[in-house]
Amino acid sequence: MQRKLISGIVGILIALLIGALIMLFQGYNPLQTYAALFNFSLFGLYPLATTLRNSVPLILTGLSASVAFASGPINLGQPGQLLMGALFATVGGLYLDLPAFLLIPVLILLSMLGGALWSGIAALLRKWFNMDEFITTLMLNMIADFFTYWAISYPFFDRNAYSPMTPQINTKAWLPIWGEFNSNVIVMILAFVVIYFVFNRLTAGYEWRITGQNSLFSRLGGVKIDKNYVTVMLVTGALAGLAGGLVVMAGPHRFLKGLGANYAWDGVMIAVVANNGLIGTLLYGLFFSALQTGSLGMELITAVPKEFIQVIQAITVLVIVAGRGYLDIFLDKTLARRKARERTT
Amino acid sequence: MNIITGLINGMISGATPILLAALGGTFTFYAGIFNIAMEGMMLGGAFFAVLGSYYFDSWLIGIICAILGSLLMAAIFIFFAVTLKTDEFVTGIALNLFALGATTYMLRQIFNVKGAFSNPGIVPIPRIHIPFVSQIPIVGEILSGQNLIVYITVLIVMISAFLIFRTRFGLRLRAAGYNAPSLDSSGVSSAKIRTWSLIICGILCGLAGAFLSLGYVTLFSENMSAGRGWISLAAVILVNGNPWGIALISLLFGFTDGLGLLLQQYMPSQFTSMVPYVATLIALYFYSIQARKRKT
Repeated sequence: MQRKLISGIVGILIALLIGALIMLFQGYNPLQTYAALFNFSLFGLYPLATTLRNSVPLILTGLSASVAFASGPINLGQPGQLLMGALFATVGGLYLDLPAFLLIPVLILLSMLGGALWSGIAALLRKWFNMDEFITTLMLNMIADFFTYWAISYPFFDRNAYSPMTPQINTKAWLPIWGEFNSNVIVMILAFVVIYFVFNRLTAGYEWRITGQNSLFSRLGGVKIDKNYVTVMLVTGALAGLAGGLVVMAGPHRFLKGLGANYAWDGVMIAVVANNGLIGTLLYGLFFSALQTGSLGMELITAVPKEFIQVIQAITVLVIVAGRGYLDIFLDKTLARRKARERTT
Repeated sequence: MNIITGLINGMISGATPILLAALGGTFTFYAGIFNIAMEGMMLGGAFFAVLGSYYFDSWLIGIICAILGSLLMAAIFIFFAVTLKTDEFVTGIALNLFALGATTYMLRQIFNVKGAFSNPGIVPIPRIHIPFVSQIPIVGEILSGQNLIVYITVLIVMISAFLIFRTRFGLRLRAAGYNAPSLDSSGVSSAKIRTWSLIICGILCGLAGAFLSLGYVTLFSENMSAGRGWISLAAVILVNGNPWGIALISLLFGFTDGLGLLLQQYMPSQFTSMVPYVATLIALYFYSIQARKRKT
């Protein structure tokens, strides 16, 4: 745990340093830029609340990827599952009329259903025809992208709008906002706690993890691999779908083109840097969200465009993942040396 | 008749970028690298192609820049995956996102635009009109007048097949994927072979990118590779890396691309754009059925 923390912090510092060098090379002031970046994402109640709100889709898709990768299935379909979840929640929000305390949970369930449906297709293709989920989920991403684009251009199109988008959903389905804090964070934390509990404390979670580490061993131990495979795909799809539903219910309250942004791919990256650890996913998700939230402020104060953050994110991932192995060797060496010294004295 | 030649020409231009990237992928496939970075390399190539073509008023420099840009991505992949031995899957994902972020960033930084950059100053790669052949009805319209890259691609398919199956380098390449330790113990560094396979992949993806931004269309837009790298990966897996098989399957995908354009008269464009991806799923279905039969 401590070691992971060290490797993460060292990696982030190195990545920020590389980013600073790139900025220097282009004639920007890195200190000023980073000050603006973190001023607008961490210091103060409003920036912090915004960072928290923006972290929700990142963390949920990150959790989806982490649980999937750690349990075996290479579910790379988070982008598509997120969009389908968002579409389901939007459609529910357009046509259902219930009191808020019922409508919000219903829409949350609908968004999870949408995501699980989309990942379920990939799971069934694997189960029935042995088709590799790695490619099917990727293809389903593109299909979901076009399908949702069609859905918001024709059947659910807002007639008063000039670009493809749906009308706003029922105001009762809007997630409540308390002061600066958006309640989508509560839903995310609930989902995190449930997933953490299932993954680390229940037999099912143990079976998933052990299958991810050694599927032959777990099969010999009596784990029903095929059934677990489908369950994991459904659960991870539901998580990504939930991310999409919350984006709609907390943010624009409608489905607009480009709603999914890069959330899901960023989530996959977060899972990768966190080495599929759940707590790591949470922390890196917050960090990535801080970067993205601060990027707007950075663009406002300095001349650095906000797209620069995407570059920094990718550098962070590469540095941390590549450095992980090397740091381990380095730490082991220093530990061994210290022990050797203790023994001689 | 026009529909058919149009469909075939659409098929060829749809297939070319996929085919080039997939040929690059097949070299790394044989070298035993799980390379999913074709998407990023292609995107990098497409961006630098526009950059070179625009600033030097020459499509040739555009192609060279595309190859250099794609090689830069390949170099990052080599540094992390081969030198530092970082997980290839992770490196690939990070590299794809790096390419997306970096090209979007540079698009804004260098051209001061968001979304897409198109300008009459970008010089496209010319179409080649073969004398005499272009006179032949129907066949002439297909054989002649294609983009220069298309002819280069045909050449590269043959060279790749020869290189992989008929030369010493090809043997070592396949050995690196089949059994790296035995290759190492026979005195050939498998890391070196892998590096070369990635460099070749970089060059071919650079050409694919140049075709996208200087041939297929003459502009650069954000994320313009649009999953073609993933489709080319699927193509490589579907035919187990055989260059001729890849050519065939790329043409099939290209055909669905052209078919999609044709179908646009009958249904919303969003559905026709799905066609290549659905076709990939269908191809994967047949592949899996075959693979299962072979096993039993």
